[in-house]
Amino acid sequence: MLDLTNVSITFHKNTVNERKALDQVSLHLDSGDFVTVIGSNGAGKSTLLNAISGSYEIDKGKIVLDDKDLSYLKEFKRAKYIGRLFQDPLKGTAPNMTIEENLGLAYSRGRRRGLSMGIKKADEKLFREKLSQLGLGLEDRMKTKVGLLSGGQRQALTLMMATIVTPSLLLLDEHTAALDPKTAAQVMNITDEIVKENNITTMMITHNIENALEYGNKTIVMSQGKIVLELSGERRKNMTMEQLMELYSNTAHETFSDKMLL
Amino acid sequence: MSMTVIQGAFELGLIFAIMSVGIFVSFRILNIPDLTIDGSYTLGCAVSAIFAVNGKPVLGVICALLAGALAGCVTGLLQTKLKVQAILAGILTMTGLYSINLHIMGDKPNLSLFGMDTIFSYFSFLPEKLVYLVVVAAILLVVVVILYLFLKTQMGMSLRATGDNEDMVKASSINSDAMKILGLAIANSLVSLAGAIIAQYQSFSDVSGGIGMMVVGLASIIVGETLFGRRSLLIGFISVIVGAILYRFILTIAIWIGLPASDLKLLSTVLVILAIIVPVVKDAIMKRRERNA
Repeated sequence: MLDLTNVSITFHKNTVNERKALDQVSLHLDSGDFVTVIGSNGAGKSTLLNAISGSYEIDKGKIVLDDKDLSYLKEFKRAKYIGRLFQDPLKGTAPNMTIEENLGLAYSRGRRRGLSMGIKKADEKLFREKLSQLGLGLEDRMKTKVGLLSGGQRQALTLMMATIVTPSLLLLDEHTAALDPKTAAQVMNITDEIVKENNITTMMITHNIENALEYGNKTIVMSQGKIVLELSGERRKNMTMEQLMELYSNTAHETFSDKMLL
Repeated sequence: MSMTVIQGAFELGLIFAIMSVGIFVSFRILNIPDLTIDGSYTLGCAVSAIFAVNGKPVLGVICALLAGALAGCVTGLLQTKLKVQAILAGILTMTGLYSINLHIMGDKPNLSLFGMDTIFSYFSFLPEKLVYLVVVAAILLVVVVILYLFLKTQMGMSLRATGDNEDMVKASSINSDAMKILGLAIANSLVSLAGAIIAQYQSFSDVSGGIGMMVVGLASIIVGETLFGRRSLLIGFISVIVGAILYRFILTIAIWIGLPASDLKLLSTVLVILAIIVPVVKDAIMKRRERNA
């Protein structure tokens, strides 16, 4: 369960470039919710995810995940509970370390990393099993440096790493945007499978309106640092791509004309 | 060139290999250009020498190791918690250490250990000719084995990942600041250890002994990599050690053919520059050939 209450972030405060990246955002997600987040560039989607993960410090407000107050907790401490994928497939893995070493690191998420061996024999079997689920043949390349893999393979591996210890929350920031269409679809399918199988609360930013409706059980639309529309249930089920596009451009237009009036 | 000179070069090479392995940790594994090196090397010399003068050579080496780690921690804290730029943080610590090193040596610019007991005195049961070689090789072996095993532990893997991809590390609930501080402490403790051994090996400690040690370490790393390429961790260590020994031989040969000792630092610099530009020039020539073909 995730609760955001009046979360605000302002960039370049007290300068001419002052911009409210997040403006009093409140959001409630139940356990197991899979929310897709859409909105134009600069709407605050990534900032929202970065605020939750702790990459950006929030100015005001409260972030509570499963009864733990994360609002001002350091990024690496929040990472105990939060799995994350970035748009850039290179960001989620250590290129000069092998596949099994990367998984080994991810597998110790949230635990104290002491002086026991990084990869134990028993882990290896689990890693192999998990990797074979991806269907990319990575299970036979456990000793390969991750830097030698393709973008799609690295992103699939990152997904595995983010979920190998089931997180309380999974944040996906356009994680298929940099992949070719076929690979993107493949990674998206694996994502959906893993999320469903483990019932992980998930937020996914996407620019693909089709994906936004196809996956998950909720959709939110952001504009100018605010959540301007929340869709779920019947209304979302009956929504077509065209309608959502229209709604989306309407809300965007409204805020635009507001600004014109001012 | 006499046998003694060759053996001497080999022994020095092994000692500088310890230092180069330390620099390998900060420069290659953590990916941080750490300039504390010049200061922490002398710190090792100073601590080791003053303890040896007072009849405690072994304790001196151990304390030098710890003092080096402390110096690394200072640079690490400056870099992480206080957000000082990596290069500047190293320079600040190094410069501060100059005064501290002088104080440690009793405000004298150099100390002589002639006639004093050193760590090597404890191994007089070995054949006289081999004492230095065996002791130094044994220390290097222990250092590398421990470090290698450590880097395979969970904590060690976290440290390697920090140098490889900090974003990923933070997203994996690893405290990257702590890892950087730890890594710099390890790196500088090894550099200081090398300084400590050198002081007792040469029975001499000089407050400016550390000048240029960063370049010596870099030269060893790069010479090694030119031969072995950049591959696994184990090969990385082997390449640094071979590089350090080869580098020492290059210097020895240079002196043997008549280069004045005062020009060695210049030679080191030229060597590093050459090692870096040769692949670049080779690449450019290859490309031009392909275009003209």
